[in-house]
Amino acid sequence: MASANVPVAIEGLAYAYGEGELRRPVLRDINLSIHAGEIVLLTGPSGSGKTTLLTLIGALRAMQEGQCTVLGQQLLGATEDQRVLLRRRIGYIFQQHNLLGFLTARQNVAMSLELDPGSTEAERLARAGAMLEAVGLADRADAPPSQLSGGQRQRVAVARALAGTPGLILADEPTAALDRVSGQEVVHLLRDLARSRGVPILLVTHDPRILDIADRIIEMEDGRITSGQPVD
Amino acid sequence: MNELRRLDLPAAPPATRPPRGMNALLPARLAWRQLRAERARLFTAIAGVMFACVLVFMQLGFRAALFDSATALPQAMHGELFLVNPMTTAMFKPEQFPRVRAFQTLADPDVAQAVPIYLSFATWRNPETGVRRTIELIGFDTATGAVAFPGLENVIEALKRPDTIAFDRKSRPEFGDVPRLLAERGPFEVQIADRRLEIVGLIEIGPSFGADGNAVMSETNFRRIIGQRKSSNTDLVALRLSEGADIPAVQARLRRLLPADVSVVTYTELVAWERDYWENATPIGFIFMFGSLMGLVVGMVIVYQILFSDIASHIPEYATLKAMGYAHAYLRRAVMSAALLLAVLGFIPGLLTSIGLYEVVASATFLPLEMDLNRGATVFCMIFAMCAAAGLLAVRKLRDANPADMF
Repeated sequence: MASANVPVAIEGLAYAYGEGELRRPVLRDINLSIHAGEIVLLTGPSGSGKTTLLTLIGALRAMQEGQCTVLGQQLLGATEDQRVLLRRRIGYIFQQHNLLGFLTARQNVAMSLELDPGSTEAERLARAGAMLEAVGLADRADAPPSQLSGGQRQRVAVARALAGTPGLILADEPTAALDRVSGQEVVHLLRDLARSRGVPILLVTHDPRILDIADRIIEMEDGRITSGQPVD
Repeated sequence: MNELRRLDLPAAPPATRPPRGMNALLPARLAWRQLRAERARLFTAIAGVMFACVLVFMQLGFRAALFDSATALPQAMHGELFLVNPMTTAMFKPEQFPRVRAFQTLADPDVAQAVPIYLSFATWRNPETGVRRTIELIGFDTATGAVAFPGLENVIEALKRPDTIAFDRKSRPEFGDVPRLLAERGPFEVQIADRRLEIVGLIEIGPSFGADGNAVMSETNFRRIIGQRKSSNTDLVALRLSEGADIPAVQARLRRLLPADVSVVTYTELVAWERDYWENATPIGFIFMFGSLMGLVVGMVIVYQILFSDIASHIPEYATLKAMGYAHAYLRRAVMSAALLLAVLGFIPGLLTSIGLYEVVASATFLPLEMDLNRGATVFCMIFAMCAAAGLLAVRKLRDANPADMF
């Protein structure tokens, strides 16, 4: 069975929306493993089920069928509490930055550290500051998101996702709202930070400009994985 | 990459605890930061709470003031114990009982004095216009000191003469401007029922719901006006006890001594008796409660609206927090904290405004409006409950912050 060496191990996963006559399968017979330090891109046309797969791995949705072990937690039949705990060990990056507008960049990053009951406020702010420095925003740490550019905001979101030392990073179209240059900057930053810590990334994207960061590209169509060859 | 290595802090300890037990103040701090960020919204919310607060304070203040004035008559009584017919519902419509009960109480060694008080209504003719109006007559032995209306001490001797009365200067203006006439002419005659009586002075009682005006006279003069009444019956008996008497003990002894046609009540019970009537047997209490309730409902709707729109405009952010591992309960606590912060922030200016308004109203009307700690605490509890209810309603909106819909 999946060990901690395999952060994500999926076997025979299936998922459907709706019930009875309206039941519409979106994922069928998914088998997928992501290894430590691996960067995996998930592509495919809209409606192919890649986002649903991401939300299942991210413990945002309850599983229906199959096996899915993420960071050692079996998700089939997991309780809400177990899923909430697992989410704390996963870093998320969204298409929109979703930073809290009433907090500074530093406070936003610190929000992902407040879940650790052992930390003090000073520790959290120091660590958040260090994280912002790592994404090149040390001088903007006390600015609210409204005073940052789109690329800067997404870099704050990257800092927030990584601050809690996650075991896995999930990203959904992180470059979709950015121009080419900022998009490249953000994904390269993400790749470098993840590589330096051995954190695997699963990234859903339509953006052909960022395919170069991947170790492996998985294509999905109609709820199935159609190909999953390693890059190079 | 050197600077990145510095960040390789020890990995967070494996999270084995359930998503509780976090610093309890963190949700409140989040709530405060969110409230503070939108000044206009915050001030609207505070104004809403303040409005509810002032409305409730004014309703409760008016209510207390009206009840105080309604109980002016029993409050003016000087006595430790009183005899009342148990069927009496309010002072303005007393049930009579045998006057001999008053004398029976004197059998108790601690009863120093028993003063029968006679209450009745008669028509008064306005000395200026001749228009008739109903006035309450209060008859008793004015020399006993059993009733302490301000001004009574000046007219005790004069009231001993036949056909004399003292007039309540706070009677409604429809009774005529007696104080002015008295100052101009000295004692003068007025008509009550079918008799001509001389006004020899002024006392102070104040109008109540039951009586618009009052006149005080001796027992004998009372009988002269109200002729058709059985003279062996009285309406209320005030008992003065000897110095240092144990009031509850005397009350219990008298209870055993006297037949069931009278109740023996203390001063507090007498005032409460009168108050209960106005509070419960009339719609007055209900009207003020209704007014208070309306204030609270309006306040609640405002607070609910503010909290609701705060949540609605932050749905993606809240969903993100949930995706990061924040439990639903954490966000719920943040919303409830915001509600309770608003309660406190709105109550303080509401209290200060009400204190100011009480002074304005008290100086503009005869109503004795005063802020007391008890009422302040009551209103604070109401406002707190109001905001908590608004918070509980608004919290339901958090369900929309579903991280599965975020991707």
